[in-house]
Amino acid sequence: MIAQILASLIFLASLWLIFSEKLNRTITGFLGAALMVGLGKLLGFYNETQAVAAVDFNTLGLLLGMMILVALLEPTGFFQFLAAWAGRLSSGKPVRLLVLLGTVTTVLSMFLDNVTTVVLIAPVTILICEILGINPAPFLIAEALLSNTGGAATLVGDPPNILIASAAGFSFNDFLTHALPVVLVTWFLALWLLRYLFRRELAVRPPNADAVLKLNPGESLDDPKTARRVLIVLSGAILLFFLEEWLELSPAFIALGAASIALVWVRPDINDVLRRIEWSVLVFFGALFMMVGGLEASGVMGGLVDLLERLYTIPPVLFGLVLLWFSAGLSAFVDNVPITIALIPVLQGLEIHGVNVQPLWWALAFGAGFGGNATIIGSTANIVVASISERTHTPITSKLWNKRGLPVMLATCLVASVLYILAYPLYIR
Amino acid sequence: MIRDCMKRKVFSISTEATIRQAAALVAERHIGLLPVVDRQGKPVGVIRLADLLSLELPDFFNLLPDLDFVHDFGAVETTRPAPKELDRPVTALMQPVTFMEETCGLLRAYALMLKHNLHDLPVVSVEGALVGIASRVDIGVAILSSWKTVEPSKP
Repeated sequence: MIAQILASLIFLASLWLIFSEKLNRTITGFLGAALMVGLGKLLGFYNETQAVAAVDFNTLGLLLGMMILVALLEPTGFFQFLAAWAGRLSSGKPVRLLVLLGTVTTVLSMFLDNVTTVVLIAPVTILICEILGINPAPFLIAEALLSNTGGAATLVGDPPNILIASAAGFSFNDFLTHALPVVLVTWFLALWLLRYLFRRELAVRPPNADAVLKLNPGESLDDPKTARRVLIVLSGAILLFFLEEWLELSPAFIALGAASIALVWVRPDINDVLRRIEWSVLVFFGALFMMVGGLEASGVMGGLVDLLERLYTIPPVLFGLVLLWFSAGLSAFVDNVPITIALIPVLQGLEIHGVNVQPLWWALAFGAGFGGNATIIGSTANIVVASISERTHTPITSKLWNKRGLPVMLATCLVASVLYILAYPLYIR
Repeated sequence: MIRDCMKRKVFSISTEATIRQAAALVAERHIGLLPVVDRQGKPVGVIRLADLLSLELPDFFNLLPDLDFVHDFGAVETTRPAPKELDRPVTALMQPVTFMEETCGLLRAYALMLKHNLHDLPVVSVEGALVGIASRVDIGVAILSSWKTVEPSKP
């Protein structure tokens, strides 16, 4: 009992530190993992070997492989090229610009990390808006919200999906058949809602619409040769993701294999590439796995599962909806990664007890994916665009985000819930 | 010594002035660096031309790896800082000042300018009051002029 209480305390204190931003999340993860292993050894419920075994290397490998591909693509100017191209194609019409930039960001974030996408697209977005003489805030918020929403569609789109896929054994195609249709509907809803919520800002006719026609996207592509090579490898990797089940390949192998091929083909300065990898994210994930592993070993999860099982007398559909809204509500305030990592053992525990958890995984994916839209701190992409906007004349405030993001979050979760109920028979399988 | 090559006619502005006044002085005197001094005439900060221009050219430009593909800056060209921004005190925009005492050696001064990427160096008296300002050219030329004493090499 004492082990369970102390292990829960370590985990909750770490979550609180991450949430309150009192301590950097990776440092918190380090400390929490070390404390958990130390406590486990002291009370004899957890040790180093178990901690290493708790790390999901499939997730880490997939993340690392994709990060290397992005690190190779980033300096070529490809992302700027796409944003500049969208700017030119918009002919300076705000609504068209919103749709084009939103689409570019979403498509990229379906296959690449949301944060990287937003970091690279947002500065060009601001540039285009400043050239047009319009407020960039609606475009930046839309990019973050649409990339969060779109990222929920694919296995590689968002870290929670990678975690869920690895834990539940879902393939890339499972996401295309189970998540993509729901995300498509909610994405269009989000876009329509953003257009409505920002109708006043988008109604202005920019005085300098012609200036964007003089943007030359070609000139922003600094290294077309490398860009072409990385894109070919990336397309190959995505193709293999489709065939993953049939070829019996793990996503991590595909991503790391693609990264190694791209590295050999491009032959970059490897130190420069490795510097661009977000090691803090990988370390944070690893530490969280170890912490949750300790929580599991202490028996906390078992107790929680017993408790949930007793609640499972309610209809399973309703249980899925509760999970969807519960994870969405938490994701609005806390990073969705720790939430997902913490909920995975709970669902796995329920499965051992004979509950069909297949539909619950999807409920978790939707909740974690859409919940982060509600507040400025809901997802890393939100935090990033808000901090980039501080470098303009019109910084995005938390209040503005709540007014625009919360309706989008509520509407997307609501529609996802309806679709979830309708498609429930499909999710059982 | 830096005292021998510095400009003694140095323009400065008080900590109570506004950004608008600083900008007007910089424009009127055609200078790149304006020391901000306290009541005792001691430098407490500097306003650089670039700091003033950053009000016009927003900071996000630093996030863009290149700007070659932008052939027309459109509305950016005609955006002026908000009145409220110009009426803030200079202390809001002021940067930390690096200054030298007037007895500082020329090469030391030059090396420090290179290290800190400075183009103008305010000079203070032993009491700490602003007494002059030396540019890289002032100091560099003063160093070069001492080369006259180097005798030609023998063939």
